[in-house]
This record gives sequence, C-alpha cells and structure tokens, in this order.
Amino acid sequence: MYFFPSKLVLYPQVNFTVDQIRAIMDKKANIRNMSVIAHVDHGKSTLTDSLVSKAGIIASARAGETRFTDTRKDEQERCITIKSTAISMYYELSENDLAFIKQSKDGSGFLINLIDSPGHVDFSSEVTAALRVTDGALVVVDCVSGVCVQTETVLRQAICERIKPVLMMNKMDRALLELQLEPEDLYQTFQRIVESVNVIISTYGEDENGPMGNIMVDPVIGTVGFGSGLHGWAFTLKQFAEMYAAKFAAKGNTQMTPVERCKKVEDMMKKLWGDRYYDTENGKFVKSAIGADGKKYSRTFCALILDPIFKVFDAIMNFKKEETAKLIQKLDIKLDADDKTKEGKPLLKAVMRRWLPAGEALLQMITIHLPSPVTAQKYRCELLYEGPGDDEAAMGIKNCDPKAPLMMYISKMVPTSDKGRFYAFGRVFSGSVSTGLKVRIMGPNFVPGKKEDLYLKPIQRTILMMGRYVEPIEDVPCGNIVGLVGVDQYLVKTGTITTFEQAHNMRVMKFSVSPVVRVAVEAKNPADLPKLVEGLKRLSKSDPMVQCIIEESGEHIVAGAGELHLEICLKDLEEDHACIPIKKSDPVVSYRETVSAESSLMCLSKSPNKHNRLFMKARPFEEGLAEDMEKGEVTHRQEMKARARYLADKYEWDVGEARKIWCFGPDGNGPNLLVDVTKGVQYLNEIKDSVVAGFQWAAKEGVLCEENMRAIRFDIHDVTLHTDAIHRGGGQIIPTARRVLYACQLTAEPRIMEPVYLVEIQCPETAMGGIYGVLTRRRGHVFEESRVMGTPMYVIKAYLPVMESFGFTADLRSNTGGQAFPQCVFDHWQILSGNPLEATSRPGVVVMETRKRKGLKEGVPALDNYLDKL
Amino acid sequence: MCGFDSLVIFVYYLTLPLKFVLFYRSLLAFFATMAEAFSSSSETVIRRSINVEVKANTSGEKLEEFYDIKETCEFIREHNFDKVALQFPDELLVDSVAVAQEIERNSHAKTFILGDTSYGSCCVDEVAAEHVGASCIVHYGSACLSPSNRLPVLYIFEKRPLDVELCASSFRELYPDTQTHVILLCDVNYNHAIDGLLALLSPEYPNLAVSELVVGGGQCFIHGRKQMDKTCPSEPENSLVISQFGRRFSLKCGTAVTDYRMFYVGLEGATLRNFMMTWNRCSFCSFDPVSLKGRTESINVNRALMKRYYAIERAKDANVVGILVGTLGVVDYLSIIQQLKETIHRAGKKSYMFLMGKLNVPKLANFMEIDIFVLIACPENSLLDSSEFYKPIVTPFEMEVACNKKREWSGEYVTDFRHLLPGGGSHVPLADQQEDVDDETDVSLITGALRSQNLMNSEPVESSFGSSVVLRNQTLTVANADSAASFLAGRSWRGLEPALGDAPVVKVVEGRKGIAIAYEDEGTS
Ligand SMILES: Nc1nc2c(ncn2[C@@H]2O[C@H](COP(=O)(O)OP(=O)(O)OP(=O)(O)O)[C@@H](O)[C@H]2O)c(=O)[nH]1
Ligand SMILES: [Mg+2]
Repeated sequence: MYFFPSKLVLYPQVNFTVDQIRAIMDKKANIRNMSVIAHVDHGKSTLTDSLVSKAGIIASARAGETRFTDTRKDEQERCITIKSTAISMYYELSENDLAFIKQSKDGSGFLINLIDSPGHVDFSSEVTAALRVTDGALVVVDCVSGVCVQTETVLRQAICERIKPVLMMNKMDRALLELQLEPEDLYQTFQRIVESVNVIISTYGEDENGPMGNIMVDPVIGTVGFGSGLHGWAFTLKQFAEMYAAKFAAKGNTQMTPVERCKKVEDMMKKLWGDRYYDTENGKFVKSAIGADGKKYSRTFCALILDPIFKVFDAIMNFKKEETAKLIQKLDIKLDADDKTKEGKPLLKAVMRRWLPAGEALLQMITIHLPSPVTAQKYRCELLYEGPGDDEAAMGIKNCDPKAPLMMYISKMVPTSDKGRFYAFGRVFSGSVSTGLKVRIMGPNFVPGKKEDLYLKPIQRTILMMGRYVEPIEDVPCGNIVGLVGVDQYLVKTGTITTFEQAHNMRVMKFSVSPVVRVAVEAKNPADLPKLVEGLKRLSKSDPMVQCIIEESGEHIVAGAGELHLEICLKDLEEDHACIPIKKSDPVVSYRETVSAESSLMCLSKSPNKHNRLFMKARPFEEGLAEDMEKGEVTHRQEMKARARYLADKYEWDVGEARKIWCFGPDGNGPNLLVDVTKGVQYLNEIKDSVVAGFQWAAKEGVLCEENMRAIRFDIHDVTLHTDAIHRGGGQIIPTARRVLYACQLTAEPRIMEPVYLVEIQCPETAMGGIYGVLTRRRGHVFEESRVMGTPMYVIKAYLPVMESFGFTADLRSNTGGQAFPQCVFDHWQILSGNPLEATSRPGVVVMETRKRKGLKEGVPALDNYLDKL
Repeated sequence: MCGFDSLVIFVYYLTLPLKFVLFYRSLLAFFATMAEAFSSSSETVIRRSINVEVKANTSGEKLEEFYDIKETCEFIREHNFDKVALQFPDELLVDSVAVAQEIERNSHAKTFILGDTSYGSCCVDEVAAEHVGASCIVHYGSACLSPSNRLPVLYIFEKRPLDVELCASSFRELYPDTQTHVILLCDVNYNHAIDGLLALLSPEYPNLAVSELVVGGGQCFIHGRKQMDKTCPSEPENSLVISQFGRRFSLKCGTAVTDYRMFYVGLEGATLRNFMMTWNRCSFCSFDPVSLKGRTESINVNRALMKRYYAIERAKDANVVGILVGTLGVVDYLSIIQQLKETIHRAGKKSYMFLMGKLNVPKLANFMEIDIFVLIACPENSLLDSSEFYKPIVTPFEMEVACNKKREWSGEYVTDFRHLLPGGGSHVPLADQQEDVDDETDVSLITGALRSQNLMNSEPVESSFGSSVVLRNQTLTVANADSAASFLAGRSWRGLEPALGDAPVVKVVEGRKGIAIAYEDEGTS
C-alpha cells in the first residue's frame, strides 16, 4: 500500500508542493542524478539516510527511520539492499559555494535525484539499471576493508557508462575506534584507497583528453569525502580549507567576493593533502617532512585535519570532560540540551554531527562536482543512442532540450500495489513526458521501420517516485527521473519511449553478471500451472536480470545471478507474483558444449534425398575470441571488413575467410561462427539461409545434451547440390546442415564447459586454513592472497566452479566460525576436463544428468547417426 | 524419397489398374526395375529398409481364425458389397494376398488390398478405398476407432495372445485393495481376451468396470459385435457412461472418472499415451502382454503435460501457422480446419493449409516461413513428439489454448479435436470481435520478449505526431507490409540474379550420371 501525502515536506522546515518540485525540474543545469554504489555492506543505505534527513523532499514523518531506501520487508530483515530505490532531495548552495561550480548553473537551489543501489553481486543488475539513469556516482568505500571486488565491478560499469565518480571513505569511526590507527597510518590507508580507485578509473576510462575530461578522484579538488555515515558526519578538504582559509585570511581583508574566496579555498585545499607538511609551532606550511634543522613536521592532513578529529575522539571516548568541553567551545559546536547530558559514543556522535554534518559535506560535493544532465548528456549521447548522432533525437539528448522530441529510457519496472502491474521507471533524456501523451513504446527488439516490439499508446499517468511514495505530476521535462503508469504492459524489462517517428532505440544495458544459476519450479498443484506461468511472467518483468523460461522438456526455469538472487526471486514468485505453493528443484547449472580439436575427418552428410552433400569441419576458437564476442569487440553487427581485419590482426585468421563469416549463433549473435571456406561452389548462396537455419538450431542445442554451443568455428569446405532447385530446398538442407554440424562436433573432441565464479573472501588470518580446505574440496583454486594494509584482514581470490558453489557460503561460515564472507561473481567458462562421451567421466556424468533432466534419450547419439559415407 | 513419393502416388492412382495395391513393397519392387534403367546399383535401392517388423506368413488353417474370414464374408454378403477394400497395416501385409484370395473365394466380392495408408494405419483410409470405387472397407489390425462416415467399415483386430492368468495376478499385485475402483482398458488387439480376464477378476473386484469397444458413425462394425446395442450391458439407472476413443464404460453412481484408476492391457505406445493425457488425473497401470510385466506407469503425466505446455507457448509466439491436414477420414475434419483458421486469424496470426500425406522432417522443413504447425489427425496420431522437426507440431487443442483468449488451461487435455467443435464437450466460443480490440500483451517465456495477441490486426503504425511532414522512407514502408514479405526480406537469397553479360558464356559440358545415392563416377559403395 502506498501512502499519498497531500503535501511533501522538505526537511527540516520548508514545505514543497508538487508544483514547486515541478518548477525546480525545469532548471536542468541544477539537477543532479546520481547513484550510490559500493561493495556490499560498505554503508550506502546508511549514508543515504544521513543525506535524506538533511534534504529529502519527502522526509516528513518517516525521516530518521533507518535505511530509508530499504523499503522491502526482507531488505529490512536481512539488512541488505535488494532493489535500488530512488529519492529526491532539494539542497540550496550559498552564494559562496556556488562559485565552486565549474559547469553552468541556474540559481542556488538544486534537485538531487539519488538512487541507492544494492552492493551484493547477485543484485548487480540493479546497479546497472541505476547507473543508466544517473550521470554521477557516489562511490562508497569502507576504509577498513578497502576496495573490494564489487567496488571494482560497479565502478567499472560506471566508468564504461561515462558516469562521473566521487568517492566517500566511509566508516572512519571504525578506523579510529576499533583499529586505533595513528593519523599517518590512516592517511596512508586513505591514500591507497584513492590510488586503487584511480587505477580502476584509468583502466576502464578514457584519459584526460576524453570527452569527460579528468575524472580521477582527488581529495585536493574535493571529490573525496571522509567520514562516517552511521554517525552522520563527513567532510571533504573543502570544509577544512574554508576554516583555515578564514583563519589565515582573518588578519587581512575579510571582504572577499565569492570568486576570490573560492580561489583562496581551492589554494588551501591543495595544501591539505599529499606531501605537504605543517610546522605547528610556527603555523607555517612547509615542503618537506624534515626541516633544515632536522625537525620533523607532520603532514598537513594529519596535523590540520586528523589531529583535531582524533582529539575529539580521544577526549570524549576517554571521558575527559574538561577537555571535551574546551574542544566543543573551540570548535564552536552548539549542542542541543539533551545532547549535553550524553557522554561516550552518543556524545561523540552528537558532537561530530554538529561539527561536520555529513549532509552538508556530501551534498556540496555532489552539487559541485557531479555533472548536471546538461553537462553529461553531451558526452553520454553517443553511448546511449543507437541512431545517427545528428538526428532530432540525438540532438535533443545532447542539448537536453525540453522542446525536442521525447526520448526516455525505461531502466526497470517497479511493482505497484496493484498486483501484476508496474511503474515503468526511467529517465527523460530529451523533450518532456506528460500524462496523456501518445508515445511510441519500443522494446529491445524494435528495429526502425518495422512494427515488431513497437506500440503506440498514451501514457496514463506520470508520477514522481520517492522511496515508498509516489505522487502524480502533470509532466516531467528532460534531465529528470520519473515513473510512468500504463506502459508496463508493452515492455518486458526495459525500453525506449519516444514521440519521434524515426527514433532508434536507446542502447540496451549491458550487465556485469549473467544468470548462470537456475532452478526448475513446478506448481505443487498441477491445476495451478497457469498461475505459475502468470507469476513467472510478472517476475521476469520485475527484475532486470532474472530469466524465466520454459524449456523444451516443459520445465519452468528461473535463472539468476547467484544463490541469493534466486532465493529472493523465488520468494517473490511464491508470495507476490504467483501466490501459489511452489516446488523447486535443486539449483542446476547451465553448461556449454565446445570442441577441443579440429574435426579428425572431413564430415559429410547427405540430404534425405541424397542429392545434396555438405562437407564441413569444426574447430575450437582461438583463445580469447569468445570473450571478445561477449565484450562486443567482435559482433554480428560489425562492418564485415573491419571485423575481418580485427580477426586477422588479433587471431591470425585468413582475411579472405574472415570476410566470409556467414553468421554467428545461436540466435544470430552467439559465440560460434559458421564460415564459408569453399571455392567456387554453384548455387551456394541459394542454400545459405537453410544452412544458417540449421546452424542456429544446432548451436542452440548441441549434440551432447542440447546445451548451447560455445567457441566453435564451423567451416563449410565443400558442397555438392542438385542442379534442380526443387531438390535443394530448406527441407533437404536444414536437417542435413544440423546433422553435419553434429558430426563435426562429435569428431572434434567435444567438451563440456562449466561456468566459474571469481570468489573474493575477506577473513582474518586464523580463518585461512578453513577457507583453503573448503575451496579444495570444491575444486576451487586460489590465485591471489593479499593482506588489507593497516588491518589484520586478508583477501583471498579464487576461482570456483558454479557447480560446486551451492551451499558454499554456509559451508565457509561453518568452517571458519563465521569469519569469512565470500562474494561470488560469474567470471568465465572453463572446460570441464575429461571426455563427455565416456559415461563415467565428470563431463560424462554432467551430460547424462542433463539429458535425463531434459527427457532426452539416454546416451549421446552415435556419430553414424550424423555422418554419411561417400 | 519425397520427390518420388508424390510421383508414385500420382502414377498409381490415375493410371495403373493394379489389383493389388501394395504401397511400399510394390514401390520397392517397382524401383528395383526402374532403377536399373538409370543406376548401376539397383541393389542399394532394394537394400534400403523400411521399419517394419516382418512377421512370418500365417498358415492356411490359422488364417481363418486369425482374420475372421467367415464372418467377413457373411458381412459382405449380408450387405451385398461388390468391391471390398482390405486395409492392412504394414506388419500384416504378408498375409494380405492369402486373405484376399480366401475372401474372394468365399464371397462374390472383388477385393482390393490397400497397403500403407496416406496417414496413420490406425485410421480408415477412405480416400484410397474410394479411388478403387470400393463399397466397403475391412480394416485389419490396430485401430484408433475414430469415427468415419463415407463408407461402411468392418474392423477385424488381430488376436494377439494374452496370458490371462498372468495378467490377472499382475493386476492383483498392482491393486492389493479389492475395493479399488478400476477401469479396464485394452489395446484393440487384445480385446478378444478381455472377457476372460474380466471373468477372473470381477468376482474379487466389485468395483471393476470394463471398457468395451464401440465405434461411432452409423456404418462401422466390429467383428462379433455387429449390433452394438445388443451387447451393451444393461446399465443401472443414473450411472455415468463415458464414451470416448471407441471405448465405452459406465461408472458407478456418484463416482467420477477421477475416482477410478486405469488398468491398460497392451504395449506402451500412442494408444496408452492418448488415454493417459486425456484422463490425466487418473493413475495408470499397464500390463505388457509381450514382456508379461505389469507396472505403474512411471512417466509423470504432469511432466508430459508441462511438455505440451511448452508447445502452447511456442504456438503463442508464432506468427505464421501451418495447418497440416493429417486425416481425410475422421469425421468433422473440415469443420475443425475451418474453426482453426478462424481462431488463428483472430489471434492475429496467419495460417496456411498443407496436405502432404505422411509427415517427415524434410517435407516440413521446406516451409521455413512457418513458425509452427498444427496437425489435424486422429487422437492417437495427434500427439507427435516433434523434437526432430525444424518447427514444432501441436494439436488443435493446443493451438486453441494458444489463440483463443477465452480458453484457459485447466489441466484438462483434449486429444480428440471433435470435442473442440460447437456442441463438443470442450467447445469454447471465440471472444466477440469487439472484445478483441484492446490488445493485450504477454511475455513469452521462450524468447523473453513481448508478444501481443493482435500484432497484425493492431492499428497500422502511422504517426499522429507533428513530424508527419517527414517523407516516409520508401524501403521501410515496404518492409512493413506483412509477415511473408518481411520473411522474404530477411532472407539473404531472394532468387536468381541474372547477372546478364557479367558471366562468361561457356559451352555445355557433360555432367554427372546416375542417381544421387551413388553417382556413376563414384562406383558402388
Ligand atoms: N561503524 C560504522 N558502521 C557503519 C557505517 N555505515 C554503515 N555501517 C554499518 O554497516 C552495515 C551495513 O550498512 P548498510 O548501509 O546497510 O550497507 P549497504 O552498503 O547499504 O549494504 P547493501 O545495500 O546491502 O550492499 C550496517 O550494520 C551499518 O550499521 C559507518 O560509517 N560506521
Ligand atoms: Mg544498502
């Protein structure tokens, strides 16, 4: 049930009506769309709370509740974010602060649309969906754990989507209270994290000359925040620089224009980080740690920033009352009456929150450094839009023009209280969207000029979506995030909404995880089958990643990114979508079929009428080619010559052959190739469509156990055809092509591939033995082990077959006394060693079980079913 | 074979005054001689085998008993039939000549042997019989007992041996509780022994019901039971009589089919499968008279239904449907074709009709533009495992579930298309035209994409936006036309390119000789 407040309340005092919000939406230069991204548990939701309480537009009665954005019951119970949630905030910058903004601006009020995303890898697709509709990202790193796998994954995605990052070092309270680090050690820790983050940025991003300019995070320019979300305090160098700039300038003129002041503060910020030192006695900045007289100076960051903080912590936590009182006075902190009675940690929180309010520091960082839609859409357009860069839609996006045709991307579906119906959630990139507007709704399979996946419908209602609350709004101009009612029926998960008749699609999102873990579900009562099916359809809408499919065997499969993801999906299916009792199978893994050598002989299959013969061979891809296809380096859409060049250069393909790639498969885009290497065969192109059809079929259902093929290249060496076209129709060629491809596969040392996870485990040293034991038992192997600097924690990175991962987390916890926390993310496909044609080998067992599950004949069909003699 | 198939059908029906019409066998012989004319290796052609278990000839004295010749002749005489078509399944063809001679000797009728039928051998091949102008058909062997009504039909079943004692004891093992409600079903070829079995079991099992064979259509007869009504057991008042698939059984007052278990005597196959799908809420046991084993049918019917549900999803995805006419005998086949056409059309799909005799993979794969086929055949032949086919084949019922919005999947499964027709037990009328207008959409659980029920009917995608001044792109407009055109547009090869003047003119050269299975220059091997 949704609660519709009649008035939206801006915390702490100002009342906001929808009309007022609508007015702010027009100031596109003052909008910031941003995601909060991080590794699991690094404190995104908690930090978001501290911002909401500062500026949330709908704070009202709910303000102060913990993890405002964790709206689902299970999210609250498990203390984990599952779905990404958007909230809107309003923040006003002072005139002085406005001077820091280098991009265009329009007044002092800012509308910040923030999306809190989940950190668990299993929900990465939610992050992807969030990134798509935002332009900036607040990357949160727990400074005690440092940069973790998922930090890297989400940051990489952000960079690839041209999302500008800013960094927040979170949980600083733990560094001080639990780890008791010295200031210099803490600085080093921060420095390392900044470096690691920048390594990731430079690895996946463009350089300084790229369209976004320099996007490295740097404390000196104020794109790095420090603090504690839980305690509600944070700062960037700007806050301290302002204090010190005021202090040092106090002697001279006090009347500065905002611009002059800004310049001063920026100069000061440069002095507060890096190898800059401070001579405390003389109150002077010096260049080196050791003075001419051999005196040691401490780093400015330590002396001027950490030192005061440490002092406050020390005084309060050690109950040094007098000192505390002095500090409070010195820092000019005004405590509430009831705060004054506190002591210890509660007092610490109150003091720090007053002194360095997190909302203030972070909202400033966000408004000053993250791009507005006006700035961002200029360089994001080419990545977002599939059509020509100069059509009306593209120009509308680039200029963030509310008068241009509407272009909106729907990045996810949010369930409504009305079962089976969804809000389509997305971002307006061009034009504006309004209630009643008749639009073109284009799904991912839409091709300009065709009718497929295209609907012409009016929008029933446009709404503002904020956490748990929705509020109708008349219209929303570009640059904003909005929900639509009434288009959910015409989209599955994502899509483009436009009013421009020639519009192309906005590019579909690329996920960093794949649905490799699957379970079969069944209605406990067979008569409930239709409800199950209906539920599956709803589920597949409500989650960006989950796949719900019916296999030929009749099994209903739900595929997700990992065990947790599946668990949540199945729970939603049972409780919300299907509402019937469900039986689920044990998780099953999907496999791939491949080959490990060239076909040992030239395979021949004759058509049923014996008039046509196909001669082919199979061979494995060169190492890396399949991955290149998945990364989109080599695709079916690519211009043929460019692709041939690439294959020739990187994989030493014969250019001539590379130009004669007939198709990719399965589904026309999969990682297998059909190549024509024939010489002067008559009528060949006439049967091409039939051979391609046979290839798509075979590549989808390999000969071993009807799993998809992967990384196989099939070469057509020769073809003899009946001269009379009637005898070489599809009926003769399609089944024959399939047969010869199977023969090729069987003669090329077929292999089974299994998916493999990259596992990252954080643990104390004492738990390492247990971890190694568990990994070895599960065919995992460790490839990296390192210590998190400044902490007693270790990080182990290992590869673990997905097949072996079920129950891994629980196993690991029980073997390490609950001290090890793994994160599994699909990494690659690996050949399962052994011959799948031998029933007792490991792949042989996989083949047998898969065939059984699919209701296929026992045993891989023998070669002579497919191979004909001359 | 496909090419020759049609060629031979043509030749035989129209020009050859053959008395013995033996489809495959004569065909092979026919090829053997023909082939010599243009191939060096006629041997290979003869060696090509068809999948028929060859049975030894039945000896003279057994012939009478086995084929009920006396009774057949009586039947012929009684009705004064002059031309009689004898329809044999492949495995009984060995006896066909002897049976035909015997019948001709004992009656005045002229006989014609119909070999392999155009469709399943369980169905009566009226079309073939009409070609020779027969006035009645005698159908031998397994039969689906689908009603047909053009010609009078006499069914003669095989009398396969059944060890009644063993069968009964197996029954006792499977149903230890003598109060169990059981319905006894059997393969027609074991029907002769069913009374014996019943005699053994009914004293112990008061709730045992037996199904007896009956055929619809006024002119069908089952040997030994010419007049059905006479042999009907007198049913107690109010009991429910179920009559389906040529079987009839009555249930005790106040019970429903679902209260019964089914016991089937016969080999596993299409007949049993059909029963199991239809009465999918009943548990089945069977007794295999060859291996002499009784068992609880392990195949999970729920699983089988789910598999069919997959086919329904495929049907929903399809844009172009091929209607395969797989029977010309079963009554009402024309009505179901008509109904399907309408249903498919209303669902915004296109349909084409195909008449192609026996189905095989290459024949169907010739029509790449077809997304799914729906087969109209007798109930036993309808449930086809189509995994080897390029495109799936579904039953009329499944097609209706996919296309008729008003029909919901309830677990009920209909193999007999006649029930789908108006007046049939499972008829569901189409929605009114008006209701159709709002186009509902649906997510495909196969492709994951969206599909709309009324894709083709839906308003043409023409703009009502301000940008209508923009010139319409000609090529795009053409591509919009319809599914057939867009299929063609998707093909890479669209017909010969004349390339006049580009290709050098060369002299005619001598090509290969022989037939494809072994060209002359390849020798024999
Ligand atoms: N000491 C300390 N604990 C914190 C801080 N921020 C968050 N936590 C704790 O860390 C845990 C996780 O916090 P969340 O805000 O739920 O983390 P998250 O990043 O949103 O987690 P996911 O959304 O599940 O990825 C909670 O127990 C918080 O109380 C912090 O600044 N200091
Ligand atoms: Mg969270």
